[in-house]
Amino acid sequence: MEFKSSNTQEVEKEVFLSRILFCSIAILILATIIITRLFFLMVIESDQYKLRSLNNTIRMQSLPASRGLIYDRNKNVLANNQPIFQLEMIPEQVLDVDTSLEQLADLDIIKKNNIDNIKQRIDKNLQFKSIVLRRNLSEREVAVFANNRNNFKGIDIKSRLSRHYPKGEIFSHALGYVGAISGGDYARFDPSFYTGKEQIGKTSIERNYEPYLRGKPGNQKLLVNVKGRIMERIDQHPFLPGNNLILTIDSELQETAYKAMGKQKGAVVILDASNGEILVMLSLPSFDPNKFSFGLTQKEFSTLSKNKNKPLFNRAIAGQYPPGSTIKPMIALGALEMGIIDPDVFMPCEGRFFLPNYSRPFNDWSTHGAVNVVRAIQASCDVYFYKIANEMGIDKMSHFLKQFNLGAPTQVDVDSEKNGVMPNKEWKRNNFTSRENQSWYKGETVIAGIGQGYMLATPLQLALATAIIANKGQAHKPHMLKAIEFTNSGEIQLIESESIDYISSIDDKNWDLIHEGMTAVINERRGTAYGIFPDNSPIAGKTGSSQVFSIDKRSGDEIPEELRDHGLFIGFAPIDKPEIIVSIIVENGGGGRIAAAPVAEKIFTSYLEGSETNNAN
Amino acid sequence: MQTNQFQLKTGNILADRAHIDMPLLSAFFIIFLISGIAIFSASNGNSNFVIDHSINIAISIIAMTIAAQLSPMSYERIAPWLYFLCLMLLIMVLVFGETRNNATRWLNLGITFQPSELMKIAMPLMIARYIATGTLPPTNISIFISLLIVLLPTAMILLQPDLGTSILIAFSGLVIVFLSGIKKRYLFTGLLFFIASLPFIWKNIHPFQQKRVLTFLDPEQDPLGAGYHIIQSKIAIGSGGLFGKGWMNGTQGQLDFLPERTTDFIFSILAEEFGLVGVIVIVIVYLFIVGRGLLIAINSQDLFSRLVASSISLTFFIYVFVNMGMTTGILPVVGVPLPLISKGGTSSVTLMIGLGILMSIRTHKRLISK
Repeated sequence: MEFKSSNTQEVEKEVFLSRILFCSIAILILATIIITRLFFLMVIESDQYKLRSLNNTIRMQSLPASRGLIYDRNKNVLANNQPIFQLEMIPEQVLDVDTSLEQLADLDIIKKNNIDNIKQRIDKNLQFKSIVLRRNLSEREVAVFANNRNNFKGIDIKSRLSRHYPKGEIFSHALGYVGAISGGDYARFDPSFYTGKEQIGKTSIERNYEPYLRGKPGNQKLLVNVKGRIMERIDQHPFLPGNNLILTIDSELQETAYKAMGKQKGAVVILDASNGEILVMLSLPSFDPNKFSFGLTQKEFSTLSKNKNKPLFNRAIAGQYPPGSTIKPMIALGALEMGIIDPDVFMPCEGRFFLPNYSRPFNDWSTHGAVNVVRAIQASCDVYFYKIANEMGIDKMSHFLKQFNLGAPTQVDVDSEKNGVMPNKEWKRNNFTSRENQSWYKGETVIAGIGQGYMLATPLQLALATAIIANKGQAHKPHMLKAIEFTNSGEIQLIESESIDYISSIDDKNWDLIHEGMTAVINERRGTAYGIFPDNSPIAGKTGSSQVFSIDKRSGDEIPEELRDHGLFIGFAPIDKPEIIVSIIVENGGGGRIAAAPVAEKIFTSYLEGSETNNAN
Repeated sequence: MQTNQFQLKTGNILADRAHIDMPLLSAFFIIFLISGIAIFSASNGNSNFVIDHSINIAISIIAMTIAAQLSPMSYERIAPWLYFLCLMLLIMVLVFGETRNNATRWLNLGITFQPSELMKIAMPLMIARYIATGTLPPTNISIFISLLIVLLPTAMILLQPDLGTSILIAFSGLVIVFLSGIKKRYLFTGLLFFIASLPFIWKNIHPFQQKRVLTFLDPEQDPLGAGYHIIQSKIAIGSGGLFGKGWMNGTQGQLDFLPERTTDFIFSILAEEFGLVGVIVIVIVYLFIVGRGLLIAINSQDLFSRLVASSISLTFFIYVFVNMGMTTGILPVVGVPLPLISKGGTSSVTLMIGLGILMSIRTHKRLISK
């Protein structure tokens, strides 16, 4: 080691001290930089970072409301909710929607061929509304997803309530069904009432009374960790449950009608004669609405919608059929009022009717001999009504029949009702394009007399017309909602029936004649429904057959099923003080007596037995 | 005698006998207390973490005490041996070191350790010894040899790769060359040379290190990937505000948004929970330790002690600066822990050995002057 003089040491120390001084200044500068930086982050920009910190940890979650229940008139549950697992996505929160969907398909949680459909729904979705990718996941699928949850930001499985219909297909057309909310639904209903996670009514009652059933969604503020796990619920606004609906439907009677129809296609509408309440609205074939709750695949839906028996079609309000002979009591009433016929005069029926200048005769289904108005209704004599129609003319006939609300909507409280057709000369001019087709032919008036030709009516329209007959001109607008039970107040609001005088100033005697004829249909020999009902039933009715094929008669067995006549039946009971109105159509049943009257018999018998027991009690 | 206005007073006799500097020891206890509080919070209240950490603290205090017993002269004597031993170990790491997380830093010789940590002690001792032996200001040759002594281990550690440690080791050596009175124009040329060699360095560092630097320049470009650490750290610090969210109440930390929060990012936890006020207290304690170290350096009577003490103090400051710089987003994330507060055994022990050497210099000098 070299020896250093004290002088050198002093010089060394001075250099050292000046350098240390430099370093100390550098330290102070660097420390100031750090503190300035901290001041900048923690004071000046602090609010921005506080917000970002909250965004990291606070999640607002919307809570879908529970849908109101639907009861029948006796408070039997027709639609309730049951818990299921559903896969939900908020597209805005997903980093890469395409990849996430692919990954879900790889895990077998969604179907690969469903991805395009989901993407379309995302395109039409509203901002920050959830989309339900799948409903009703199995426990296994829930477990598979839970294991991979970290890969799916913005996607989650939640336990939610889903619509359930305990009686399945029996009430599907009356109640309608629910499904995932579409872009179109948001256009029609206020989106603020939806989170996207709930189901929305798609048809019938579920659709029409959607604003009552849906409730109002709530929300909650959650504290989550970096993995999105909920650590704490900070704030909660619970949802308001939807209101319950009490329908006019009588589920026992509807089930009776369903059983009575068996495997036949068609519709049954039953009204309460005193107030227009719809006790039964049945359309067959039907479908299981529970499958719609979970969401049908494209294939399942097209199988249903392309089925030639049209199970999705509500025949009760949208099926338009020629009313056939069920129109006869109404035409007879018009003829009596107009003085075209005298109830005491018998007219001969030789099984056919000729018009001047028409080579072909208008055939009757049978040869009835001499009939007056009561007998003509009882035995459904076509010739009698050919003559009336010919004399009355189409415009008068149409004008009179329109008073039974035929050719016009009944204004029932569910959508997609059809108007039917009550033709006249003007109607023909407006609805045909070629000049040749626009003119009205006399023969068309003749067949209109037996409810054939252009005349069409829905089963509900026929039921309303029957109610007008039963009540002698006055009836209530048909409707399905009896009361709303408000869940937050417990209050029950009854729905008033609207009474309408459809026809006034008809001679009471004439009503009685019509009723007499319709009673004879059921209870007297040669009545078209005689022998089907028990003797002396307090029932008035009328059968009808509407031709699907041609006027040529072949024997029933030769005709393929889809070309057989539709069978119709209208009726009411009891005769003196009508309580129920029944309207039945059995498609391709082969005629009113064969197909529709037996169904009516089962319904009336069941109803009358029921009311006897009630009276006994 | 001496006209040094920064002259230290004679300390407690008992403490001097034990070669302990009471002001420094008090500061350590404050820092360790803060550390315990921070680690308990950063581990979401896991007391096992705190117990482990307390054991580390105990070991490092023992290591410090032992280091303080050796006289500065004996450090000067063993410096070259220690340096060459470390160099050998670093070569061994390069040849058959243990690899964890894509970095080969560990050596398994019965116990597994990082030789680069040992180099943190060996480097200032070696350079100080070499410079102190020659005349001052150093000659060109001794500057060249000093640079060689510094750059050889630095390069090897850079290859592991361990950017943070290599920066600290290079700094601890180079700062001595600077303090020895190297001419300003050399410093200037050195700086120019460094800037000129930046593209070369850039090409030769690991892609993940390149990414770190790029991310540092614009963290928001990859908010969920490379930029995530920086962004979440800034959110934690910024959301702390003036007084913080309170102990155990920081959402960034408690809800796991902040990664590596018991180690490199523990400062962000402290900032989030104790605010600007708490953080300034920490900065003051650190500045006190550094200032005390520099005072010891000024008051030491031989050149070797002076250089070693100032290198240890200034390197300690650089530790603090780099860590706070990277957590606040003004420096790239180079993996430097917050000294004595971050969890991590080896780094605490080597730091405390260094500070033990400071105490040794402080308490042994009167013996020399006699």
